[in-house]
Amino acid sequence: MLVPLSYNLRSLWVRKSSTLLTVLGLGATVAIVASVLALQRGFLTMFTAGGREDVAVFLRPGATGEGDSMFRRDLGLRLIKTLGEIESDARGPLASMECYLAVLAKKTDGGETNVPLRGVQPETFRLRGDEIRIVAGRSFTPGSDEVIVGRSLVNRLQNTHIDDVIVLNTTPFRVVGVFEHAGAFASEIWGDLERFMPTLGRYGPNRVIAQLRPGTDLAALSARLEDDKEVPAKVVTERAYLESQTLVFGTALLVLARVLGFIMGVGAIFAATNTMLASVSARTSEIGILLALGYRPLPIFLSFQFEAMLLGLLGGLLGCVLALPLNGIETGAMNWQTFTEFAFAFQVTPAVLAEAAGFSLVLGLLGGALPAWRAARLAPTVALRQG
Amino acid sequence: MMRLVWRQIIGHPVRSLLTVGAVLVGVFLLCLLRSVVTALNAGVDAASSVRLMVQSSVSLFVSLPISYQARIAQVEGVQAVAKWQWFGGYYQDPSNFFGQFAVDPVQQFEVYPEIELPAEQKQRFLERRNSCIVGDQLFEQFKDEWQIGGTIPMIGALFPHPDGADTAWEFELAGVYHSSSGALDNRTLFFQWDYFEKTADIEECGVFVLKVAPGADVTRIMAEIDALYENGPQKVRTTTEKEFQRQFVTMLGAVPLFVSWIGGGAALAILLACVNTMLMAARQQVHDVGILKALGFTDAATFRLMLAQSLSLCCLGGASGVLLALATEGYLVGVLGTFFPGYTIEPQTVALGFGAALAMGLVAGLLPAAQSARLNCVQALRGA
Amino acid sequence: MSEAMIQARGLTKRYQRGGETLVVLDGLDLEMQAGRFYALMGPSGSGKTTLLNLIGGLDHADEGELVVSGESLDELDGAELAHWRAANVGFVFQGFNLIPVLSAFENVELPLKLTPLSRAERRKHAEYALELVGLKDRMRHRPKQLSGGQEQRVAIARAIATDPKLILADEPTGDLDRKSADQVLELLARLNREFQKTILMVTHDPHAANSAQSVVRLEKGQLQGIEDNPAPTARSAGR
Repeated sequence: MLVPLSYNLRSLWVRKSSTLLTVLGLGATVAIVASVLALQRGFLTMFTAGGREDVAVFLRPGATGEGDSMFRRDLGLRLIKTLGEIESDARGPLASMECYLAVLAKKTDGGETNVPLRGVQPETFRLRGDEIRIVAGRSFTPGSDEVIVGRSLVNRLQNTHIDDVIVLNTTPFRVVGVFEHAGAFASEIWGDLERFMPTLGRYGPNRVIAQLRPGTDLAALSARLEDDKEVPAKVVTERAYLESQTLVFGTALLVLARVLGFIMGVGAIFAATNTMLASVSARTSEIGILLALGYRPLPIFLSFQFEAMLLGLLGGLLGCVLALPLNGIETGAMNWQTFTEFAFAFQVTPAVLAEAAGFSLVLGLLGGALPAWRAARLAPTVALRQG
Repeated sequence: MMRLVWRQIIGHPVRSLLTVGAVLVGVFLLCLLRSVVTALNAGVDAASSVRLMVQSSVSLFVSLPISYQARIAQVEGVQAVAKWQWFGGYYQDPSNFFGQFAVDPVQQFEVYPEIELPAEQKQRFLERRNSCIVGDQLFEQFKDEWQIGGTIPMIGALFPHPDGADTAWEFELAGVYHSSSGALDNRTLFFQWDYFEKTADIEECGVFVLKVAPGADVTRIMAEIDALYENGPQKVRTTTEKEFQRQFVTMLGAVPLFVSWIGGGAALAILLACVNTMLMAARQQVHDVGILKALGFTDAATFRLMLAQSLSLCCLGGASGVLLALATEGYLVGVLGTFFPGYTIEPQTVALGFGAALAMGLVAGLLPAAQSARLNCVQALRGA
Repeated sequence: MSEAMIQARGLTKRYQRGGETLVVLDGLDLEMQAGRFYALMGPSGSGKTTLLNLIGGLDHADEGELVVSGESLDELDGAELAHWRAANVGFVFQGFNLIPVLSAFENVELPLKLTPLSRAERRKHAEYALELVGLKDRMRHRPKQLSGGQEQRVAIARAIATDPKLILADEPTGDLDRKSADQVLELLARLNREFQKTILMVTHDPHAANSAQSVVRLEKGQLQGIEDNPAPTARSAGR
């Protein structure tokens, strides 16, 4: 015989101020955990979006990213010309050399940051197809001192509007267009590889990318190139490459969410326990009546446990409501792997909300355990006398 | 009166412990988060005013010809110039993240007088071409694997060993240093420039760190050095150490702000919990307050009674939270050192912790105290 | 006749309940002498407890004058009334009203903290009061560790700790068994007899009222009369 649920609902309603304060406290906790999770989610999606399975990234063996990778120009060319696994179209192999450098740039708010500068070849655009879309102006003319900037950089950095001039070392480059990309490229500046290399004193590209023929065995290719005498290289899919780049910051965010969740969760459980204890002690005589009516301790335990979880769930809902407005808000953060800043948005996905709500239920469950146990353990005579 | 306060607190041990626990957690978190933020700024705050950094004006990752060193040293007011090159390697696994720099050993000690190490270790580092020194925090992390006089194998991710990318660079550990200033962390490995230059066959260097003569005009020196290479081949940018350090902080973007938000949210959640607890405590003590008033205690006295309970609980929780933060400082330096090498609990952080606890106690106690003071003792006695 | 301890003129007290005004005391005139033991009787709702609360300075009257122990209570504000209570009145309640978290000794010491007495003197006074009620050996116990009768005797010790002239008791035997009740009544009578305390005890129990020297009867907020009791029982039952 279970205690009617309406009893719990009424009890929460009768103790409005206490219920409200508890729910607010739980809500703040859940909101913070949810927002860190949303940040992590946004970071991962942003970074790995557009990472293709059929595109391979070639790096110098031992390099952890394109920042510390380097090929001699002639060797990069040889790689593209000789690899049978690379897909071709009528105009030649779908492969491109790219140079990459984190350059100093002034933010619009006055600070300084590192922004990725990528020198590409025309093949890059053929390989990317629709992934890169010019949303304002035009693309740069090969061989000229022109650049296009990623959409996320406009408004974040100085000199990123069309017709602005970006000076690299001693050479001025003109901004001629703005491009959009679903992934991290939207936080980069692109120009012609052939113009960037001499300007920056580089002798070769940082990496080679290539679209692979369907059915290519990447593991075999990788093993073969690793020991290649002429052009040793490390090969990974673009997706795997991007995932490796998110390792440090993504993990840091996840750890932050867990640690915060744990510490704040402990505090929230203490608070919930206190609320429920007071609620039980104020209802001692009611519990006595329930016991006298013939209710068994277990249903009474369940009843209070349910009430605590209801408190938790209310807090969770509030937390989700508080975290929702963050959805889509863009922020900048540094990618530790490349030391560059890039923009991404909070993503309050259903998964994030579900995790936050689950977290709040656990808080309620743990917070209600002790008080519910106390309530169930009361002897009817004692409980009635104390009323 | 204080005896009654304590008796009320001890009289409800579970409630009191839970409240103290909640405040403890909140204050601990607050201290932790603030220390993380101060750790980010440690380099900026501790920067020396007599140190300047010369870097490429384009990027931290663009190197400068080493011939610049001699030219810069001639600028009037410059006392010493040290080469710094980011090595970008790793020990055993890329996740073992710490800084490694090739430096001019003699000039390094001139430019950074805060580097302290035993004279014989310093001598050994100066004398042995393939030797290195590491910070004490870093040494602590690998103390089971490293020993002075032993070898530290480093994989050169950025500068592969000429014998192959899989071949490790081997540095002989000459000594363990301690930096007494936040401008230089204690988690870095420094090794000899000459060894680096010969092995990697490199004639470029990332940054020149220089020390200016006491009383020299820093602004003039910066302008003069920048003017030297205005037209190339590599344009340089000379900044104060503070500016140089700040660029790493601004790169973090909104992270410090975000961390502050979290701290604020945590404090708010705990505050709400405390208000709730104190209201409950006041409700349970209505009858007691009625008795006190009948005995002749004034409204003001019962107000103080309630406020004192709240303050006592919160201060107890705050003190425990601060103590926990201090006690875990050493451990967290090990855990967080990778990202926050300057992690330390500053006196201001301790003050913030106590201040927050005190504020929580005040705010949480005010409403219940006012309720108690307003209580009509006839109704209070009857209501029980 | 000795001097008056309590003088009330046209004392009126009203309560608002559910939009209706309830007249609890209706122009009550009353005079009680110092050094006597009074029982205050009357049916439920006759205003006994209200009168006791007014006399004890726990509440203000709406109209009328009330002089207790030479002080016009209606001229005192909240804080002054609190100080006056601390110095002049001792309360004994039906529900004992001890503070559960404090020991017997600490409960008795509580009103002494409102006096300028030193710590040692407070200790002496509290111990003496507990000795008087026969509970010195239980002074370290918490209220929950005492029987009802013992709790009430601790409450009486607390009421007399500051040596007030007036003791107000509201149904002091209402929650007690006959044996404990008799002990409490005897104790009150003894305080009156040996220490000349003026005692006003609200009760509905004729047996309890029998130990008083006079019985004051209230009905519908008005005085019905004061009868002297020629042979109070507790007096003859005295040691």
